This record gives sequence, structure tokens and C-alpha cells, in this order.
Amino acid sequence: MSLGELRPVLLQLERRPGSLRAQVESALLHHGQPLRWAITAVDQSAEGRSLLQIEAVVIGAIDPHRSEA
Amino acid sequence: MGSAAPLPTLLVIPTGIGCAVGGFAGDALPAARLLAAASDCLITHPNVMNGAALYWSDPRIHYVEGSSLDRFAAGDLLLQPVRQQRVGLLLDAGIEPELRQRHLQVADGCRATLGLNIGPVVTTDMPLEVSLSLGASGVSWGQLQRPDALLLAGEQLKAAGATAIAVVARFPDDPESEALAAYRQGSGVDALAGAEAVISHLLSRELGLPCAHAPALSPLPLDPDLDPRAAGEELGFTFLPCVLVGLSRAPSLLPVDAPAFAGASPLAIDAVGAVIAPAAALGGAAVLACAERGIPVIAVDNPCLLNVTAEALGLEVIPAASYSEAAGLVLALREGIAPAALQRPLPPLSSRP
Repeated sequence: MSLGELRPVLLQLERRPGSLRAQVESALLHHGQPLRWAITAVDQSAEGRSLLQIEAVVIGAIDPHRSEA
Repeated sequence: MGSAAPLPTLLVIPTGIGCAVGGFAGDALPAARLLAAASDCLITHPNVMNGAALYWSDPRIHYVEGSSLDRFAAGDLLLQPVRQQRVGLLLDAGIEPELRQRHLQVADGCRATLGLNIGPVVTTDMPLEVSLSLGASGVSWGQLQRPDALLLAGEQLKAAGATAIAVVARFPDDPESEALAAYRQGSGVDALAGAEAVISHLLSRELGLPCAHAPALSPLPLDPDLDPRAAGEELGFTFLPCVLVGLSRAPSLLPVDAPAFAGASPLAIDAVGAVIAPAAALGGAAVLACAERGIPVIAVDNPCLLNVTAEALGLEVIPAASYSEAAGLVLALREGIAPAALQRPLPPLSSRP
């Protein structure tokens, strides 16, 4: 079985309405297949919006053609 | 008096975040036993149950590796209780001969003394090269350089008939580190936990089998100030017994569209009546999936490194000051008693305009 490398990822996302889990997993897919992740901090932006810090390990290489979440 | 039907309950205590209860060597096990008694059906993960040389086997407790727990909570798989798994032993080629022999003797001991079905044994074709790291928040993460070697050995075990896999990887020794000293004395984070989770997540996800991990480490010098919560890891030469015992009765992982087979019915997330997690660590996949399904979330005051609370995430939870209180809440839910009715003051109903 061929497998990409395991890589740590640190992301910051602005909270949007809807499923929080789907939002995190969708953002991580830009970096690889999520293997393990957690929201490790929640901060407020100057405009009062929630900013989520995500720490994760993903499988696979970065695709430079995909945009940052 | 008749007893209420079991209330399948998820207990999540994330690994490597320094929880006061569950951040050490299986020190959430008493809480898990209490919650199993309250619910009659507790689904939890190795970090809660693994006390290295210490373990507890209870047919009401379902031992499910973390990524499988996440997929169960998301409704992507079912848990099929079994009488016994055949536990294949996967050893890292990086383990020195004497330490390897110690692990094989533990496996033999579990066969001879506990009656577990263990084997075969497969060694990776190259060292896995595990490394440890901390994330931006200070929680434990980690890596292995040879995930392909891990998966190849796992596939060999599965092909040879193993229905669950216990992995032992050589972890880096660092007996002089301040972090290890702090952990042994009851503060700080279990630095090994993050890499352990990555290993078991990878195997379980790719092979669809119950998996759990024990690190291979050189014995540590005696620490007279050892915290009781870390003591389970200082009783022997390996951390393997709890993993073998846990996996020996771990439920099989079934696709949601799997045909029914004889025996106990599989557990589905639809049957789960509560999820319990630390109040400041609610930002994991399993808890969020449950919350999105409307499953009551019991948020327990269990201090840790994080501050990802219900308020920060906009979740509705039932707070509990301790796991004892959480057990009372589980019992209330199981008996059909509204938790709010147990609290004072009890505000009057207000009618909608």
C-alpha cells in the first residue's frame, strides 16, 4: 500500500455558520487526508468573530494549486 | 424494581493534553468503571483504559481506538461486540533484542495467565523512526518516518488472520528531560501520547481493525516523588499488558451497510444517549459529531492545557463538576429524569410570546 508522508498542520479558521466539524475537515483536506485533529484554541477577531486554531496530522503531500482555507 | 435499559455513552478524554483525570497512566479508569456502571454500556478509547501493566476488563466497556471512535460518532461505522479477538502483535524493527524479548514474554504471559488469543507476531521491515513534538498549544503530537513499513506489517498480520492489532514502536528515550520529570511528578503532558495516537489512528483507519499502541522504552531510574497517576507505567518492562487485554475484547469495526450476523447486535451512534468530555476540550471530532446529532454533551470540569469550552464553540452542554457528578447525570438520563430538574434554583416555565 502506498502512503504519503505524515505531516503536522497548524491552521487558523474563521468560524462560519453550519457544521463545525465539516468546516474543519474541509479546510484540512487542502493539506492532505486528516488523520488526527483538534480545535486547540478559540480567539475573537477585532470584529468579534471566532477564530479557531486547528492542530492536525494529515497524510499526503501539499497540492500547491489548491487555495488556503 | 426493574432497571432501565442501558444508555450507550461515549467517554472521551483526549490524549496528550495534560488532563488532571486521564492525562497519565490510565488514571481515568476509575471514572470509566463508574460510568460503565451508571450507563451499562460505555464506549471509550485506549487513553482512558490503558494503565501500562494495569488494566480492567469489563464487558460493559467497549474499547475503541480514537479514530474509530470518531468515525463511529460520525455514523460511518458500527461496533460489533465479540467474545474474543485474535490479537496480532506488530513489533517495530527498531526495538533492541532484549527489549523485544521482554515484549514477547508479556504476550506469552497474557496467553498463559489470561487466556488471550495472541498472534501471529510480525516485525516491520525497517525501523519506524518515531519522533515526538509539541503543538502550538503545548499538546502532544508526534510523527513516524516510516508509515509505509507500519502499514505493510499490519497488512501481513491481517492476512494471517489477526482480527485486532497491538503495535509496539520504539520511542525515543529521554530520561533526563524536564518534561518527563514533570509528568512523573504529576504535572505536564504525556509527551508520548500524540505519536501513539498517530500510529494507532493510521493502522485502524487503513486496515479497519481495532488497533492500539504501546511504546517500547528503556526502564527509568527510580523516582521517589512519583505521582500515583503515573505509577502504572513503572511496574514492569513494557506498557503492553493493558493493550492486549483491551484489544482482546474490543468490538469489531463494521461498515454501516454490513450485513447482520449472528450474535449481539452492533452498536450504532443512533443508540448513544450521552457523550462525556472535559469541559475545556470540546473541540474534537467525536464530541462535535455527537453535538451535531443532538446527543447530550456532559462537560466535566477536568483541567487541561486547552480552553476550548462550550461557550467558545457555541455548544449547549450539561456541566458537571466531576466524573462522579457525570455518572449521576448519566443515570438520570438513563432513568428518564431531566437533568435540569436536579438543579436549584429551578426557574418557572415561561410561555412563548
